[in-house]
Amino acid sequence: MTIKVYSTPTCPWCTRTKEFLKKNHVQFEDIDVSRDVSAAREMVAKSGQMGVPVIDANGKIIIGFNEAELKEAINSRKK
Amino acid sequence: MKKEIAKSSAYDFLVMGAGGTGLAAAMYAARLGLKTLVLGKSNGSELPVGGVITTTDSVENYPGFAKISGFELAKKIEEHAREYPLVTIKEEEAVKVEKKAGIFFVKTSKSKYKTKTILFATGTKWRKLDIPGSKEFENKGVHYCALCDGPLFRNKTIAVVGGSDSAVKDALLLSKYAKKIYILARGRIHPEPINLERAKHDKKIEMMEDVNIKEIRGKESVTSIIIDRTRKGKNEINVEGVFVAIGHIPMSELAKSLGVKTDEKGEIIINHETSETNVRGVLAAGDVTNKEFKQLITGVADGCTAAYYAHEFIMKDN
Repeated sequence: MTIKVYSTPTCPWCTRTKEFLKKNHVQFEDIDVSRDVSAAREMVAKSGQMGVPVIDANGKIIIGFNEAELKEAINSRKK
Repeated sequence: MKKEIAKSSAYDFLVMGAGGTGLAAAMYAARLGLKTLVLGKSNGSELPVGGVITTTDSVENYPGFAKISGFELAKKIEEHAREYPLVTIKEEEAVKVEKKAGIFFVKTSKSKYKTKTILFATGTKWRKLDIPGSKEFENKGVHYCALCDGPLFRNKTIAVVGGSDSAVKDALLLSKYAKKIYILARGRIHPEPINLERAKHDKKIEMMEDVNIKEIRGKESVTSIIIDRTRKGKNEINVEGVFVAIGHIPMSELAKSLGVKTDEKGEIIINHETSETNVRGVLAAGDVTNKEFKQLITGVADGCTAAYYAHEFIMKDN
């Protein structure tokens, strides 16, 4: 399962999300949407909005840092 | 009540709010020997531990640091508080607080606590824009955190709504990314002089005073705003983003439920020397109070003052 984190370098919740994933030993792709315009468009298309972070957990889209949803996504990945 | 005491964890000093003010107060209280609990939650874009300063890109007016990110500064204050075993920090939201026989009982969504003194360092939440389009386009061009979402507006035209130092600092931050920025204030634009000069010299920034936004328009995302006067003969300005910085609402509801007095704006009224409120054993500090000049450094000072007077209160009470 691939986890993508769409983030900007200065967003504190993005940092929090990535720290949470690292703490739970989850590998993820960190996509800087401030630099990558096509990735930014992809993020907006997937989430329907422009706020960061957006997490794509193998198709499940999580908007913002949501610990419960992230845990669920991580656990479903282990099954 | 006996059941509640048995179940509750007991503290000397319970701090509602884990921003810079609350964390500094906790550090100081621990140094005075007070067993301290800090409860933090987010009101919006800021982190629950660290508070609203975590949404500030660059802090230049906190003594000892010529320039530091709000995130890093909050981290340092948090780490300092965590140096003391007497400090416990939890991400929990207090939902009820009561006073019985001189002791405060605090209920959160996860647990119950009792404490001899309480400090409200609950801060504020951002005031939202309430005009047609502001809700419809929230996170689709209408944003409240320039630090978080600003980088997505590279080479775009943005409106920043508000005339405060925060609004101008947001505009200066956004200038790193945007093509053009309008600062729109319903009154005067009144930042720190240094930031006013920076904004005046920034060719991307155009400042407009005595103007109100009446509507935000767009399709999938924001495409324009309608203002209540004309600019170059038109009252519609094409923008792709609207960043709102129009002030704050004090988070004082729980304090009020204890009988703590607030002013007409909902700010907690405190003794400016001791940080005490009208309720014995209850203190307040930081952005939630009725002090006029509010910065992180003043909140930190008042938080430490509150810790001192909480300690004095406990000593006298015993």
